[in-house]
Amino acid sequence: MSIRILGVALFVIAALYTRQAGTYAVTFGDVLGPTVFPIILGIPMMLLSASLVVFPSGQVDWPAPQRIRRQLAALAVLVGYTITLEPLGFPLATFLLIALIGIILGGAPWRSLLLGVIMAPALWALFDQVLGLPLDFLGDLFVAH
Amino acid sequence: MEILSLLGQGFVVALSPLNIALLLMGCFVGTLLGALPGLGPVNGVAVLIPLTFAFGFNPTSSMILLSAVYFGCMYGGRISSILLNIPGDEPAIMTTLDGYPMAVQGQAANALAISGVASFIGATTAVIGLSLFAPILARAAIHFGPADYFALYILAFATIGGIAGVDPRKTLLSALIGLLLATVGLDPISGVPRYTFDSFHLYDGIEPIVALVGLFAISEILMLLEKSLKNRPKAIPVSSWLPQWGTIWRTRWAMLRGSGVGFVAGVLPGAGASLGSFMSYVAEKQTSNKKGTFGKGDPRGVAAPEAGNNAASGGALIPMLSLGVPGSGTTAVLLAMLISLNVQPGPLLFERQPDLVWGLVASLYMANITLLFLNLPMIGIFTRLMMTPTWALMPIVAAVTFVGVYGISNSVFDLKMMVFFGLVGYLLRKMDVSLVPLVLGLLLGGDMERNLRRAMSISDGDWSILIASPISVGLYIVTVAFLMLSVWLAVRDHRQAKSAPLTEE
Repeated sequence: MSIRILGVALFVIAALYTRQAGTYAVTFGDVLGPTVFPIILGIPMMLLSASLVVFPSGQVDWPAPQRIRRQLAALAVLVGYTITLEPLGFPLATFLLIALIGIILGGAPWRSLLLGVIMAPALWALFDQVLGLPLDFLGDLFVAH
Repeated sequence: MEILSLLGQGFVVALSPLNIALLLMGCFVGTLLGALPGLGPVNGVAVLIPLTFAFGFNPTSSMILLSAVYFGCMYGGRISSILLNIPGDEPAIMTTLDGYPMAVQGQAANALAISGVASFIGATTAVIGLSLFAPILARAAIHFGPADYFALYILAFATIGGIAGVDPRKTLLSALIGLLLATVGLDPISGVPRYTFDSFHLYDGIEPIVALVGLFAISEILMLLEKSLKNRPKAIPVSSWLPQWGTIWRTRWAMLRGSGVGFVAGVLPGAGASLGSFMSYVAEKQTSNKKGTFGKGDPRGVAAPEAGNNAASGGALIPMLSLGVPGSGTTAVLLAMLISLNVQPGPLLFERQPDLVWGLVASLYMANITLLFLNLPMIGIFTRLMMTPTWALMPIVAAVTFVGVYGISNSVFDLKMMVFFGLVGYLLRKMDVSLVPLVLGLLLGGDMERNLRRAMSISDGDWSILIASPISVGLYIVTVAFLMLSVWLAVRDHRQAKSAPLTEE
């Protein structure tokens, strides 16, 4: 079933992609223009994904619901990091990242927090101070621009 | 003799202080990444690439660092295979078959030493092969025209997915997804923005490095989370690290045979290190398993796959450097790095940037000696570091991954893109869709389209130019033969129940 859904999703993407390709204007002096190559890709992709819908292959073992929750939590932390990095600054955001991912991966909470407390400033010092890769110590929330 | 003088110049490049430091660091980090279960060459190299960008190393130094990591991973993978019965990375699976039984029988020191020496022999064979054959291949490829390159790329996509056990439709779809993504951004020839959804972030296209770090590193974290986290096996205690040299000497033929088989497997497109070690093991078993000792701790069953694994991973560099077409997942990632640094691998690389090619080759000879030293006398360090628990290791890997990608462009958009690709990569891997063709499509797509359009401009719109040269016709014939072989294998496997898929990731 999962493979069929994958096939449908890829088919829809390929169809929209191919239709969109037709709208790019052909410029003179360039025989194929920006349109033809995407169409060359889109059509076989539609055929192949349609064949996956009709003749799916392989089975997918999705993880148990409790494990999926764990994965979603990790994903939320990763997305959260991309949102909090600039407002909070590198050490604070990275502390949260390391501690939370550590807990999600089954580390004892206090150990994970400790790891974050040590590693976040250590990574900042390593990259910003030693290796010269600029990373904000304090984020936009704390620093008036 | 020309090769020797070029190699001499290469050593001058490789022996600069920065390059030596990077080489030593790469060997150490690589062995460690290889030994740690869960982190292998692809994700290890993917995590480190953004960092090399952020530090602004030149292409030669970046390549030396990452190739040392790549080789180191291949050496290190065996350590956890032997001591934990968990392969440290995918190609080390075969080493568990005889390596772990040897360790159980109290022969851990011998198994580690044999596999260390076998890795050295295999990898050195590959580097010698690289020095000899890559220039020849590059010289032949200089006659390729745009239509021939287009055909070569088609061949690359048809073969990269590997030949065993995977549905070829999924491989092709994966390549097409990559090619689709490659068309996002301003069209370089006409200047028309394509598939940008009016977002200025997408005008420059999708940065391959960002995509592949997400695909390989972030998806690995999601993969880990679906496994049970608590019960990790204990390593077999080792009382003495001193091996018996006689046992190593007795496996010399197994090492040489394994190196030969592995090297050939590595040079062929689509067959990476995993297939190299698999084929070496099977070949050795057929020649030497007279008393049925294989699988029960036969030293030759450790020597052959380790030699094969390392010979194949080195051999995979040959098509990558001389044709610009990688033979395995990790070489595809290395190719991504070179392209992002504006170095176009292929036949012209050998003429235009001999310093890069020969500096790299020279440093690979040095890397092998360093790795032999790290993996024999200093192996105790790695067995201790290998036991770092996952909960402590992966958060730091995640943080370093973010730092590297953020360091390239200081763009939070890139970080979001990376997480998005991590999710996509996880879903595709779950559905047995190999990610390597996708990365290859994203990397080569722009060039493929340019070559097609150039060829069509030359012929003024006549499609027959694509099959006008004997080179392109030959390449298409090989492509069709290969696709037919993989369809046949897929159908056969389908009938003979399921055999374990053997893909190079």
